[in-house]
This record gives sequence, structure tokens and C-alpha cells, in this order.
Amino acid sequence: MSAATVTTRPDAPSAGPLRALLRHRGLAKLVLLAVAAAVLVPLLHAKWSGGVWPEALTVDVSKPLGSASDWIIDNRDSHPLFVYFLGHLSNAVVLSVRGVYLVLLALGWMGVTAGVTLVAWRVAGWRIAATALLSFLVSGVLGMWVPTMQTLALMIVAVIASVAVGALLGLAGGLSDRMFRLLRPVLDTMQVLPAFAYLLPVVLIFGIGVPAALLATVVYAAPPMARLTALGLRGADAGVLEAVTSLGATGRQRLLTARLPLARKELLLGLNQTIMMALSMAVIASMIGAAGLGDRVYQALASVDVGAALAAAVPIVLLAIVMDRTTAAAGEKAGGARAAGPALLRGRRGWAGVAVVTAVAAVAGRLAGSTVWPTGATVAIARPVNHAKEWMVDHLYSGVPVVGGTADWAAHFTNWVLNPLRDGLTALPWYATLLIIGTLAWLIGTWRTALTAVLAMAAIGVLGVWKPSMNTLSQVLAALVVTLVIGVGTGILAAGSKRLEAILRPVLDVMQTMPQFVYLIPVVALFAVGRAPAAAAAVVYALPAVIRITTQGLRQVDPAAMESATSLGATRWQILRQVQLPLARPALLLAVNQGVVLVLAVVIIGGLVGGGALGYDVVTGLATGDLALGLVAGVAIVCLGLMLDRVTQPTERRAAKGA
Amino acid sequence: MAATAADASGIAATDAGTDAGDRSPAVSAPATGAENAADRDIVFSARHLWKVFGPKADRIPDDTSLTGLSVPEVRERTGCTPAVRDVSFDVHKGEVFVVMGLSGSGKSTLVRCLTRLIEPTGGSLEMDGEDVLGMDRSALRDLRRRRAAMVFQHFGLLPHRTVLDNVAYGLEIQGVGKAERRARAAEMVEKVGLAGLEKRRPGQLSGGQQQRVGLARALAVDPEILLFDEPFSALDPLIRRDMQEEVVRLHREEGRTMVFITHDLAEALTVGDRIALMRDGEIVQLGTPEEIVGSPADDYVRDFVRDVPREQVLTVRRAMRPAEGDEADQGPALAPSTLISDAIEAVARSGGAVRVAENGRCLGIVDHACLLNVVARMDVARTEVAA
Repeated sequence: MSAATVTTRPDAPSAGPLRALLRHRGLAKLVLLAVAAAVLVPLLHAKWSGGVWPEALTVDVSKPLGSASDWIIDNRDSHPLFVYFLGHLSNAVVLSVRGVYLVLLALGWMGVTAGVTLVAWRVAGWRIAATALLSFLVSGVLGMWVPTMQTLALMIVAVIASVAVGALLGLAGGLSDRMFRLLRPVLDTMQVLPAFAYLLPVVLIFGIGVPAALLATVVYAAPPMARLTALGLRGADAGVLEAVTSLGATGRQRLLTARLPLARKELLLGLNQTIMMALSMAVIASMIGAAGLGDRVYQALASVDVGAALAAAVPIVLLAIVMDRTTAAAGEKAGGARAAGPALLRGRRGWAGVAVVTAVAAVAGRLAGSTVWPTGATVAIARPVNHAKEWMVDHLYSGVPVVGGTADWAAHFTNWVLNPLRDGLTALPWYATLLIIGTLAWLIGTWRTALTAVLAMAAIGVLGVWKPSMNTLSQVLAALVVTLVIGVGTGILAAGSKRLEAILRPVLDVMQTMPQFVYLIPVVALFAVGRAPAAAAAVVYALPAVIRITTQGLRQVDPAAMESATSLGATRWQILRQVQLPLARPALLLAVNQGVVLVLAVVIIGGLVGGGALGYDVVTGLATGDLALGLVAGVAIVCLGLMLDRVTQPTERRAAKGA
Repeated sequence: MAATAADASGIAATDAGTDAGDRSPAVSAPATGAENAADRDIVFSARHLWKVFGPKADRIPDDTSLTGLSVPEVRERTGCTPAVRDVSFDVHKGEVFVVMGLSGSGKSTLVRCLTRLIEPTGGSLEMDGEDVLGMDRSALRDLRRRRAAMVFQHFGLLPHRTVLDNVAYGLEIQGVGKAERRARAAEMVEKVGLAGLEKRRPGQLSGGQQQRVGLARALAVDPEILLFDEPFSALDPLIRRDMQEEVVRLHREEGRTMVFITHDLAEALTVGDRIALMRDGEIVQLGTPEEIVGSPADDYVRDFVRDVPREQVLTVRRAMRPAEGDEADQGPALAPSTLISDAIEAVARSGGAVRVAENGRCLGIVDHACLLNVVARMDVARTEVAA
């Protein structure tokens, strides 16, 4: 690529063609970069020969980080910052999570199940209520009642805290332009960062335990609430606000009677996203001390016990579906549809009814003598699942006639795709990498995004984690290409066929609600551990979003343009290639952007199942208490995420993304 | 042009009337609308009002080197866009004052300046003799709450509230109790013909019905003056006519002062007692419908009113000639405010000349030739030749 850019440099261009060239913006940028490269590359090469990131340009941060970590550990009980602020915070978190957990236990399985079912009925109708009932019963039957309650307790506290923090930030951003300009890039960036990046900093301050887990969850889950609150308040119909002002409303009246109600849909969407992010993170945070379902999955994955992992993963998925559908239904209702649920349950009386029935169920459960799930009523699925998995290992991993085995595929993917890509990226001179990244980001976005991307990448080099980062990058790129080929292809098909879309929709809905962690289990079952399974999990995780964005983008192409093309006698292929795809360009670029962000998130988590590289560094850092190692890897993940987002960030992104 | 040059619109309108009078000697008295209006109390009085959008907009109204330039020239030189330029007019009590112009002429900005939904850049503005621009926040809020209510092009209804609660919203803001405001809102809903739809939400209503809700909401606070910002532009033509008739009816019944913004000349002529025609932020002409159609101030206005059916706007006052011989004493009589179209029928029935009489005094005579002259624009051609 660097060679290519150098060759495009025109030899002594005359004024005429140069001006013509400059009129084409993309070409002008390329020429400028080529000139810069022609000057800089020989200089850099002369100073630090060789393609590896030069030693002289790295800063060893492990020592200062290590001493900072030591200082925090030494002063945790004495320094006023901890004693008077963080200590209280940590105690409050422990107490409230514990309190909610005890309440849930006191309600017993009958109380909790009845309460959740009724709330779902009240908010979202009987179908989702039935789903909720079934989900909680299944969790109990799988012997996961107690971990489910632990996760639920953490979730409840985390969601309340996230919503409070997010709504306050969102209110500030929605009402003050300056706040909004300040918050928006921060929130946008936080949304593209992988969950793993948040683990180390909180552990550094709070140590491993519930407070760290809860704070990581809040930091991860609050941004969507803040973002959507701010956008909702800002997006309020200006005509309505003007009318309200013209009637003489005070600022407070305007906020309470117009702006907030008008933003109700966004607020509920924010709640929905926050809950989903919180669940995703609460599961991952099991690595830093959150008990519950995530912990069970984590432990099981550590010993490659697919059966046990699945038993814990099923309640996670069910919990995710129930929470998502319930809050999404509330959001749709706010959008104008009639109230769901039976007449008995409407209004304030309805909530009272929910509370009474829940209490009655709880008491009934007590009287029946079983508070926690009855011990006899469980089915252990771990063993049969493991048997099935072993059968798979014996029969599907390799030696299947014609198609070969799954393990063979994984090996081929690793040997023929991942390894060459990794070696290529590592062998590529570092300045060439920077140049390529800068060029891509500048061509797609603005010079600002290009600068951010290059600086982020340089920071990775400075931190001395160039090599593992290139390893991670190679997995991301390989998984991204697979995701885009499958995703865009499926998206195009789905856009063309109503039936395929109808079949895909519920599948995508469920896939999009599942926490990242869960995706690791089936790929481990199918492909064992290694880098290929991590990439496979990333592909599966990123696919739904890519398919969905592509389909929507193609569907939203101006029908008048398609109609006129048809009237001119264009074939379907011509329409697709010459009308639909060019017009859906913003959506396709967005699909790439989202694909990259999602793939990175799971590739990093893949460190848990043999993905190696940066994710593994974080895991090792946590497991061995080597916080410096983990923190540096975490920062590198942030930089990588930033770089990948900026490189794929089209300038129209703001408009295309909307709320 | 005439209006901006003169200090007060009333004078401008009279000027236009006298101009017309000079040109057609048959017309002896100035137009009636301006005369009557001038006697009444003044509700709004704007003098040299400016609104300029852009950086450091304050300097534009005071800078004499800029005030004479066209809008694009000002934008070129300063980066500012003047939307309302040196506008002066009075709105009299009980009249329907129409501000008309094409999109971008500054009319919507002007009406928003009246209650400072958009802050004017310069000039002065009085309501009932009180300085509006000098009001503090609470005084301004009080003005918006009780004295001037606005109806918007895109309705501006709250989608999450029922029709009744939307209508009651203005009262709610004022702190009126729930029972009372609901009772008053129900009355208004009835008045605009939406009885039975109280429990619906705006999203379930048609455009015309939504605008009726907007109208009821404005009426519910019993304001001294109603401001309409292109209220019917988003509606279908048939519904638009219904709504125009509704406004005319309301005005006849209650006599409330109205400022009505529109880009539709036919609408302006239907509802307006006086019309201010705006172009590029300036008032080009201000006068009664008859003055605007009969005596356009310049080519722009003339172009604007070209397709208006003159016989439905102009009156016999404009068509009549002095009586000759004994014509003044015999034959049927018409009032001077009779429309030409009605006079045509009367003349056709009588078969000859018809008197134009006021209080038993004969002002002039109309016959076939006079009426045809007006319909065929011969009077315009004559004034043009004279000019």
C-alpha cells in the first residue's frame, strides 16, 4: 500500500493537470500523503532501520503502573480518598447488592416468578409474560436459581445506578449545548470500546469484588442512557416546544410537560439498551468478582466444561430475552400504540395488584416450605451435554468424509488465514502500518479522524504492545472480512425477499440480545479452543447487526429511483449494482463500522478461549494480579478500538446513525 | 415601499387611497377600511422593527451604509441575513391584520417578533401602549399566557395528551385548577366543532381537526389577540376553505383582534381587513384588499395580484363615474361598498345605469361601461398611462 501510494506521486506535474487532480478530493489527499511519505519514510528508515517498532520509541509503563497499584493497595485503608469517598461508595454497593439479593431470596422462587411474570404482563402483554414465566422456571429447573438471583441482584442495582447517572448526564447534555459538545464524543467513543477495557481500571482502584464489578457495569451501561436522553431531549419537535413557549410556559414547565414526555420513546430505548449492556457486562464482570451466572460460565470455560457452561448460559439468554422484550414493548407502547395487558392491570391499581399478588405468592411459597428452588426439581444437563460434546469431538472434529471436520476447518483457518495475516502485519514496517491507517481514515473520514487513528496506533507502539496488538488486529481483520461477506450477502438477499427477512427477523432479534460472553460456548463446543474459535464467535456476534443494517439500508433506498431504473429496463442485477448499492452506501459504511466494533469486542473476549494477544494479557493480568500487564493491554484495546472505529467512520455517520 | 417610507401604516394606506383618488377622479372619498381602522384603539404598534440573523447582528439596523442594500448584498458583506427590515405598522383593535408574502419574505419571523418568540434586533414594539421589548421575563410570560395566543402551521400539539388536555394546556400553565380548566377546554372544543373527540390523541385526528385543536387551545386562554402563523398551509384545499370560514365566523362572533400570516393571496383577501404585503423583509404595501388589488404600489404587487378576480374584491366606489343630468335622482341605488360582481347583476337587471348612494346622497353612477372597465383592467391601463 505504501508502495502504491508512492507510485501515484506524479512526476513534476504541470499546473493544469495538478489543478484537475486537486479538484478530486480523494486524489488530492492521496497525493499529499504520498509526498509526506516520500519525505518521511527514508528519514524514519535511516534513523530506526527494521520494521519492528523501535525500542527507542517505547516507554516502559509497567514500573510506574506497578508502583501505583502497590500504592493503592497499601493506602486503601488509610488514605482519606479511600476512607471518606471510595470506601463509602464500595460499602454502599456491597450493602445494596446484598440487600436486593436477600429480598429476592426472601420472596422465594414463587414470589420472584410471580412478580416478574406480572410485571411483564402489565408492561408488555401476555406473550412476554408467558416467556418470563417459562424462563424463570427453566432457570430453576437447570439448578441455576441461586446464581440467577445473584446476577439479578447485581443487575437491579447496576441498572438503577446506570439509569440515574445516565439520565443526569443526558439531562445536562440535552439542556446545555456546551455540555452536549463535551459529552458527545466521549459517549460515542465509550460505546465502541470493548467491555474488557473497563475491567482493569476499576480493579486497580477497588480490588477484585462486587464493587469493582458493579462500577465496571455502570461505566459500561450508563453511556447509552445518557446518549439517548440527550438526543431525545434535543430531538423534541421544535414546533411543539415553540407552541409551548408561546403559551408562556416557564423553563421547568417546558421540561416537565413537553420535553421529557416527547422524549419518552428515546428514554425507554435508553433504558432498554442500558439493561442489555448491563447484563452483558454483569456477566463478563464475573472475572472481577461478580458472583452469579457469569461466574459459572467463566469457571466452566476455564475447564472447557461445555455442559456446565451451557447450563449457566441458558438462563443468561432467557434473562436477556425477557428483559429486552419487556422494555422494548414499553418503548413501543410509548410510541403511540394502545396500552397492553388486561384492563385489570392498568393504571396505578394495576401496580398495586402486581405487588399484592407477588406478596401472596411469596407467602404461599414460604408456607409450602420452599424458599429457594426445591432441590428435587432440577435436571442436570451438564453430563448429557458433555456426552454429546464428546460424541462431537469423536465424530465431527475431523475425518468427516468430503467436508472434513470442524477442528480441521479451524486448523485450516488458523494456518492459511490467521497466521499469514498475523505474520504479514507484524512484518509490515510500523511506519507503513501508520501510513495505511492514516490514508484509509482520511479517505473515508476527515483529517481529524485520520489524526486520531494514527495517534491511537502510535500509542500502541509507544506502550510496547505492538506485536500482540498486530495479532489481535489480524484476528479482527480476518473475522471482519468473513462477517462482511456473509453479512452483506445475507443482507442483500433479505432485502430482496420478504420471506427470507421474515424468517431471519426473530433469529436476529434473539442473537442481538445475547451477551457477548455466551457466544464463546458453542464455538468452544464446535472448534475447541484457539484463535479460530475466537474469530468464529466474533463473526457470529457481529453478523446480526451487519445483516440488519444492510437490509435496512437497501430497503430505504428511494423507491422513485428504483422505479425509474426499472422503467428504463434495468435488470435486477443492474438495479442492485447501479442504484441500490450506491444509494445505500452510508448504510454499508455504517455496517462496516459496526461490524468492526462488534468483532473487536468478541475477539478480545476470545482471550478466554485461547484467542491470545491483548485479551489474553487482560485475563492473565487479572488472574495473576499483574495489573500493569493487564492495564497496558487494556489501554492498547482502547487505542485499537478507537483506531478501528475512526478508520471506518464515514463523515455521514452522525446523520446515518440518528438516535 | 409606501409603508416603509411613511411612519405609520395608517398614513401609508391613506396615501395609497388618495393616489388612486387623484388618478380616477370619479372616486371622491378615500377607501373606507383605513379610515375606519384609524379611529379604533391600537393593539400592536411596531416602529422600525428589525430582525437580523447572524453574528453581531446588532450593528446592521444602525448602519446606514447597510440598510439600503438588498438581502444578498448584506449577507455578502456581513454574513448576516436580515429577515425583517425596518417594518412599521399598527394593528387596530378588532381587525384581522394579514401579513402576506412568499416563503422567505420574513412574515413568520415578523409574527414571532410580536411576542418575542424571536427576539427583534432593533426598533420598538408596543402592545396597548406597553413597551414589549423592555419587558422582563415574567411580564413577557404573562403577555404570552393571557394576552396573545398563537396558532401554528404545524399545530404544535403535545402528542401524549388527549385533545381535551391539549386545549387545557395553556390554562394548566397558568395554574388554573383541573376541574375549571377542563370545563373551559370542553367549551372551546365544542366551539371549534370537535365535540365528541375530547378523548382522542392528536395522532388520531386529521390535519384539519388538529388545527381546530390548535385554535381551541389558543382560544381557551381568552387572549386579547390571536396570532396565526400560516395556520392552514398544511391542509387540503377543501379543508382549508372550511377553516377560513371558521376563522371569519369566529371573528364575526367575537370580534377578537387577529394577526394572520399567509402566503396565499386568496386567503389573505378572504380573511383580511387590512393586508401588509412583504417582500425580502420589508412591507411593500399596506392597505385594504381593495387598495392592494385596485392600486398596486409597484410592479411586484401588480404581478402578485394579476390573477385575482377583480370583480370579487373591488367595489363600485372604484367603478363609478360622476352623475350626468338627472341620473342622480332616479333608478335603483347601491351602497358604495357593493362588490363589482354584485353590481353587475344589479345593472344587468335594471338594464341601465345604477346610482351609488350613501345616506341618501348620490356619490356617482355605475353602468355597463364602468363595470366592464374595471373587470377588463381598463382603469389600471388608464392610471398607467396617466403615470
